Amino acid sequence: MTAEPATPGYYRYPVIRRPVWTWEVPAYFWLGGMAGGAFLTASLGQRLGSPDDRRYTADGFYLAGAAILPCAPLLIADLGRPERFHHMLRVFKPLSPMNLGAWTLTAFAPLAVGRAATQAAHTGLLRGPLAALARLLPTSVVELTGTLSGMVLAGYTGVLLAATNVPLWAKSKLLGGVFMASAMSSGSAAVALVAARRGAPDATLHRLARIESAASLGEVAMLTGYLGQSGRTAHPLTRGRFAMPFWVGAVGAGMLLPLLLHRFAGRHRGGTLRSLSGAAAVCSLAGSLALRWSIFEAGKVSSEDQAASFELSSD
Amino acid sequence: MIDSYKRLMNLQDPPPAKVAKGFFTDTSLCIGCKACEVACKQWNQLPADGFALTATSYDNTGALGATTWRHVQFIEQAKTNGDGRRDQRWLMMSDVCKHCANAACLEACPTGALVRTEYGTVYVQQDICNGCGFCVPACPFGVIDRTPKEGEFQAGTAHKCTLCYDRLKDDMTPACAKSCPTASIQFGDVAELRERARRRLGELQARGESTARLYGMPEGKEAEEVGPLHAFFLLLDEPQKYNLPEIPRLPRKTLGERYAWSAAVGAGFALVAALVFGSRR
Repeated sequence: MTAEPATPGYYRYPVIRRPVWTWEVPAYFWLGGMAGGAFLTASLGQRLGSPDDRRYTADGFYLAGAAILPCAPLLIADLGRPERFHHMLRVFKPLSPMNLGAWTLTAFAPLAVGRAATQAAHTGLLRGPLAALARLLPTSVVELTGTLSGMVLAGYTGVLLAATNVPLWAKSKLLGGVFMASAMSSGSAAVALVAARRGAPDATLHRLARIESAASLGEVAMLTGYLGQSGRTAHPLTRGRFAMPFWVGAVGAGMLLPLLLHRFAGRHRGGTLRSLSGAAAVCSLAGSLALRWSIFEAGKVSSEDQAASFELSSD
Repeated sequence: MIDSYKRLMNLQDPPPAKVAKGFFTDTSLCIGCKACEVACKQWNQLPADGFALTATSYDNTGALGATTWRHVQFIEQAKTNGDGRRDQRWLMMSDVCKHCANAACLEACPTGALVRTEYGTVYVQQDICNGCGFCVPACPFGVIDRTPKEGEFQAGTAHKCTLCYDRLKDDMTPACAKSCPTASIQFGDVAELRERARRRLGELQARGESTARLYGMPEGKEAEEVGPLHAFFLLLDEPQKYNLPEIPRLPRKTLGERYAWSAAVGAGFALVAALVFGSRR
């Protein structure tokens, strides 16, 4: 005799379909967020920093330009019909976070690459007619529009995932905040890493460390709220296959370790400071990737959780 | 000027709106013959999904998907009677795209491939869809899906029930409703179908089917976010028993709040960074 099915629904069948996206998407989230964060850090350094700050944070423009280049190819590779990528821009429909993201990437990528070219022209890295062309760009306008579009690029990705019916992504309202904090943390870390490698003075490194730590604290706060609001829905992320990359990679290496290293580095100067700053930045960058990847992949597991779907739709 | 632009871009005015068409699926009449599944596959030339046994019930289809636009569920229930005997019953239900009034897939679509037709249905334009996949997890019912990139059938784009848009154009009944031998799937004007559904529910309740209910009517709580469904159902048990969400979510409803948190974090970080750079001695 067959008993009543043990699940609240139809056998164990999922309520929603599994997302079809592959690794290109979290890789893009990471690079795009880093580009936006690095551009913002570099722009603020230019406008408000000391002469040393200006000199060493300017490399953030190169980072932003380099990080944004693979973004469009990654997104195009993930499409079911890559040759139709330009259909994304046949309408302007910001109600769809995907459409908003496509337009934002289209705006930010040339600004980031253009500002990097201007920087290269100023430092003599770029010569000839291209340099003359790059010098024509109004840097303050490019920095302002680039900062704004870069921040939209860094911040919409978590909202995009949350604008679905995948329980892990949609249950809490804070995923957009988590991704934004992670983008700012990885962007400022990338700037700090290059500054440390190039032998920036102690004062600049200390300031960058304070900025990075602020982003990491923001990450911890947002993530705590996110996990709290998600409750049992977060189990595919916090337990099982993705527990290691999430707890050890994203939380441990990406948030707590950099905070500790920066606190420790506060008492050091010179070579030790540069090594500690560099190590903290590498941890932060790796952790940011681990965060995007684990939340992205655990979302696929979550999409098959019938009970979580019912819980989401009865709120 | 505008006319020549339209000619150049091959732009056409949308066809004038018609009376909204839809399905009323009365699950109390379904006998689980799966004629709707077969008719749908044949008319729409959808490939078979392989020959797999689910080992749960007579349902070996499993779920709706990119190449399965009708799916008959077999819900086996055992209940203990007043005299201690166990009664069994099958609930059968032919599931389909709900053609929501506020469709999550349509709102998610970044290319405008998903449109609302003149019949009030939701339709994927196959020549526009670039397979971004955003509609797939957006749908609260798990209806729409993307075909594999390396497939023989319309590879890499999103697919779901079209309410036989091509047949509607010729004033024909959609294939599933045409083939249904028990009138469990009824096709027609949505307003008229709703009246019919209310009458049928009254009949069943008068006969003592106390758990019968309609799912997808304008007054139902399932219409709170996604609006009334153009393909709605008469169910004999709670919606969840049919894997239907109690209140299907429309992601748009909470989008503003989510953006606000993201923006607040970004602005907070920018402020801190500005203060740190600005506070140099």
